[in-house]
Amino acid sequence: MINNLAREEVFRFLVTSEQGLAEDEAGKRLIESGPNEITGVKKISWLKRFAGQFTHFFAILLWTAAGLAFISEYLHPGEGMFTLGGAILGVIFINGIFTFIQEYRAEKSIEKLMLLLPFFVKVIRNGKEDEVPVRDIVPGDVILLSEGDRVPADSRLVDSNYLMVNNSSLTGESEPVPLSSKPCKGELIESGNIAFAGTTVLSGSGKAVVFATGMGTEVGSIAHLTSGVEAGSSPLQKEIVKVTRIIAFLATVMGIVFFLIGHAVGKSFWENFIFAIGIIVANVPEGMLPTVTLALAMGSQRMARKKALIKTMTSVETLGSVTHICTDKTGTLTQNRMEVKKVWTMKKKESEVDGEGGVLPPLQNNDVTMLMKVAYLCNNTKIVEGKSKGEPTEVALFNAAAPLFKDPGPERVFEIPFDSDRKRMTTVNRVNGSVLVFTKGALESVLPLCASIFADVKEIPLDGPMREEVTAACNSMMDQGLRVLSFAYKEIEDTGRGVSQYAPTDSNLESDLVFAGLIGIEDPPRPEVSGAIIKCHEAGIKIIMITGDGNRTALAIAREIGLVHDGALVIEGHEFSKMGDRELKEKLLQKEVIFARMTPKHKMRVVTVLKEEGARVAVTGDGVNDAPALKKADIGIAMGITGTDVAKEAADMILLDDNFATIVSAIEEGRGVYENIRKFVSYIFASNIPEIIPYLAYVLFRIPLPLTIMQILAVDLGTDMLPALALGAERPSKELMKQPPRDPKERLLTAKLLGRAYLFLGPVEAAAGLFGFFYVLMSGGWEWGNMPALNDPLYMQATTACLTAIIITQVANVFACRTFRESVFTIGIFSNKLIFPGIALEILLQLFIVYHPWGNRIFSTSPISAGIWLLLIPFAIFLFAAEEGRKLITRSIAKKGQ
Amino acid sequence: MYKKILSAVNEHLNSVIAARYALNISRACGAKLYLCFVAEKGMSAPDIGKAEDAMQRLFSEAREMDVQVQSISTTGQPAKEIKEIVKKEGIDLVFVSARRADVERRFYRATTAREILLKLPCSVALTRVVNMGRTHPGKILIPLKARIDHVHERAYFTAKMAEGFNARVFVFHAPKPVTSFFHGEIELTQMEWEKRMPGDITDFMDHITKYGIDIEGRLLPGRVARTITIEAAAKRHGLIIMGATGRNLLSSLLRGNPVERVLRETTCDLIILKPVHKDDK
Repeated sequence: MINNLAREEVFRFLVTSEQGLAEDEAGKRLIESGPNEITGVKKISWLKRFAGQFTHFFAILLWTAAGLAFISEYLHPGEGMFTLGGAILGVIFINGIFTFIQEYRAEKSIEKLMLLLPFFVKVIRNGKEDEVPVRDIVPGDVILLSEGDRVPADSRLVDSNYLMVNNSSLTGESEPVPLSSKPCKGELIESGNIAFAGTTVLSGSGKAVVFATGMGTEVGSIAHLTSGVEAGSSPLQKEIVKVTRIIAFLATVMGIVFFLIGHAVGKSFWENFIFAIGIIVANVPEGMLPTVTLALAMGSQRMARKKALIKTMTSVETLGSVTHICTDKTGTLTQNRMEVKKVWTMKKKESEVDGEGGVLPPLQNNDVTMLMKVAYLCNNTKIVEGKSKGEPTEVALFNAAAPLFKDPGPERVFEIPFDSDRKRMTTVNRVNGSVLVFTKGALESVLPLCASIFADVKEIPLDGPMREEVTAACNSMMDQGLRVLSFAYKEIEDTGRGVSQYAPTDSNLESDLVFAGLIGIEDPPRPEVSGAIIKCHEAGIKIIMITGDGNRTALAIAREIGLVHDGALVIEGHEFSKMGDRELKEKLLQKEVIFARMTPKHKMRVVTVLKEEGARVAVTGDGVNDAPALKKADIGIAMGITGTDVAKEAADMILLDDNFATIVSAIEEGRGVYENIRKFVSYIFASNIPEIIPYLAYVLFRIPLPLTIMQILAVDLGTDMLPALALGAERPSKELMKQPPRDPKERLLTAKLLGRAYLFLGPVEAAAGLFGFFYVLMSGGWEWGNMPALNDPLYMQATTACLTAIIITQVANVFACRTFRESVFTIGIFSNKLIFPGIALEILLQLFIVYHPWGNRIFSTSPISAGIWLLLIPFAIFLFAAEEGRKLITRSIAKKGQ
Repeated sequence: MYKKILSAVNEHLNSVIAARYALNISRACGAKLYLCFVAEKGMSAPDIGKAEDAMQRLFSEAREMDVQVQSISTTGQPAKEIKEIVKKEGIDLVFVSARRADVERRFYRATTAREILLKLPCSVALTRVVNMGRTHPGKILIPLKARIDHVHERAYFTAKMAEGFNARVFVFHAPKPVTSFFHGEIELTQMEWEKRMPGDITDFMDHITKYGIDIEGRLLPGRVARTITIEAAAKRHGLIIMGATGRNLLSSLLRGNPVERVLRETTCDLIILKPVHKDDK
């Protein structure tokens, strides 16, 4: 790897030199390597995706039907086939556009990643410093980096003058990373001599040789993953495909079978043909897809009110089927409000901090004062407009210590910043003429550097038992869920050589330190999290915490919020990296799993393994390198407050308050949406039966056709739509979060649901329709066997009565479908505010169809008397009462079963 | 299997990196390495100079690595000259680097790379260099289709490449998703997929194991090329080795060409191997 090579070897390896590339060579390399830009992967164009909505199996079926209707109009004009053809085309377009709206999602993550690269870069070419556009950078270019620059391409440092970079765009960790030009062993990504494209230079300067550009860089790899990873269709999309295929198949088979029966009983070809088309139209729930889309849109609006912003509509329902939540700890489960809670010194032992908000009261104890002095001076917090600004842990230490040290602090002469590999930071300060070294960090990093300990204002040698005591004290504080930092100091001689005497390579600087003590910082859990976790457990959702904290702290917090109990499995980052996929799968099967000391790059693997095992995974993230995991998960959740633009663009949902409890509320809402979809699917499917049965009667009993195709479409795409939408707004039932996640194999159309719609609700509606039809016909003197003309006013009135009967019974059906088992009176007749306006609009539309001349012309209807409406109402009352009776029986059977 | 390996070197940096792959496999196989530069008609003096410098550097590197090495510099049409050298010296394997022009042209038609792939009588490894920093791949991804030929040679090449870099090998197969008319795509767990591992791939894995190489197998349904590049990027593989496409121009036009797409979209280095050695019975 290039990070292993010595300085001279780097130039030799990339065939370049201190003088950089010659312009003509750079030009040639640009032709070979291509421009240095982030492009993502080529996707299927939106035009192609749009066209796809009109060319799938179901659409082709409808195109064929429309085509046949137009041919029929041409050969047999005046039978209304032209209107029918037009209506079918309307159905194709409505379904196509609604599906496209559901699936289409603008991809902006790549644009945000592109913004990570600068526009111009300082390079050395032909031995001269020059500034070139970033896209012209090539492997072998020698680039110059200084404070504030963004790194243009993955480069190997060959000179470093205290260069510090912020790699948060890649790693999610915001602490400064020092870069040197020395060879480093190990993985490229963790190397201390590589500056990665898209990262920022915080301080210092350096010279580096570019070795990867564009999509070959680390950020290019993230772009490739972000744009290329496909989460696949949502469970609902898959279900809708299945439902439409089953329905289309059944409709076609029925159409063909009854066409043949019609032929056998002696009906003409055109009669049979109209009938076949009618049976297909009657079977297909044309209004289902638009209603599903609108229900999802309403669900996402409700979630937005609960501070969960949904970006992809189908995610609303996917949330409801989530089986696993992989969540960050800091800021999501906790408040990200660090406070100093406990201090430990050799003399005073462990003691609480009594001050408000983790601020220490004036201290008399000199040991603690020394400890706080290290915490105060080995700290990069700044006061901006009266507020402490900086990394949250440092701010907590600063807030605790600052009141003890009124002056702005002694001069800082040198710093070795915090480094997640070294797990410590060190500063050198001039204090009252002396030069002092202050170090803070993880115990395992600081304690080995100490030779003595500060106890009772004396520095005494640190022996074995004392070391054990310190370790035990640290473990005890970590077990309380505290993030524990250790502090040390020493006085050194000022040689007068300036900053160079403190070079980071000088191991003397961080040796023979005096151990000052420990400070425990608490990040309190969000108060609502415990309740949300209980809800998740009751709902059968497994929560996996993925945190950068140590295992003891992670475990203690997890216990405090009720995430785990005894016997939880804690996997640390280093173990995780060594684990094979098979072993990881086995570990993930454990009931309680926590990942500690993890970095964001590990998340994608956890998500992938879980998904491969059939789990439906929601994952939280905020950094740029969380983006692939957010895309891969069934539900990617970005943090609204702390999240980067790239993470937000890659996510399906944005938490406006970064709060875990909001995820759980959104899941509850998602489950509610799926239940509501099942409710209105029952409602819509029930009306298929009164649409199909008249057709069957028409063929089998040689009666006039009781319902025309246009009247069927009036129900499916008109009167049914608004009440169905109102059903989409039903509140989630209380039992919803007490059931396990929906089995992925469970169908939207279950036998129970179809049985209820087709064998119970539908036949009542069909009986009402046929009653209305024959009542009007017979009242007008019709006799069995007579076939009236299509424009006969009596016949038109009879079909209008049939249509009206369906509408009236559908009104009762809306109430019946509001619950599956509960009585409607239990949930409250008026608890859904949209039901009554929905019904009112349904009736208004029917009045238009029945009494307005335009409605009459379009739907071949004729006005009927109010008496007929009244005659049909008992059917609606019967349907509602029968359904309440069925629910009562179901409840009592369930009760007996318990 | 490989006693004589040739690597084509030119004035481009890509060819130097490709030659380093040749160098490492030569060492692992104990083969003799031929570094070959063919100066085309009209090539500028500075370019010839660069290529000669590259030859010298690689020659020294080979000597440092104790690889027996020979340099050949000649003039003419590269594909033709290399073919002559292959015949004359009895070369078993040729490394050649893919240029950007090869990658951008559909089916890399009318390119030197295509000519070499099709016309040489020996095995060819077409190398696409993407990241010049990852010179020693720690993880090698081997995407395989369900039915493969030259199993033994592919396994040998992979094993020796892994040995050369002390890398782990991950065999990967991207089958078509399981679908039914009514249910659409049927989701299978990884365990269920693994039971569907094709026989040729199992055979390939068995052969690799015989060379003492650490190997893992994995199936993931999806669009072949995209699934391969995503797997490589997600698992941070340093190198992909895949077989040259068996599809002709018409078949590529109709069914697409995964090899070509991987060549274009990969975010790590790629070797496309065209094996010729028949499997031992």
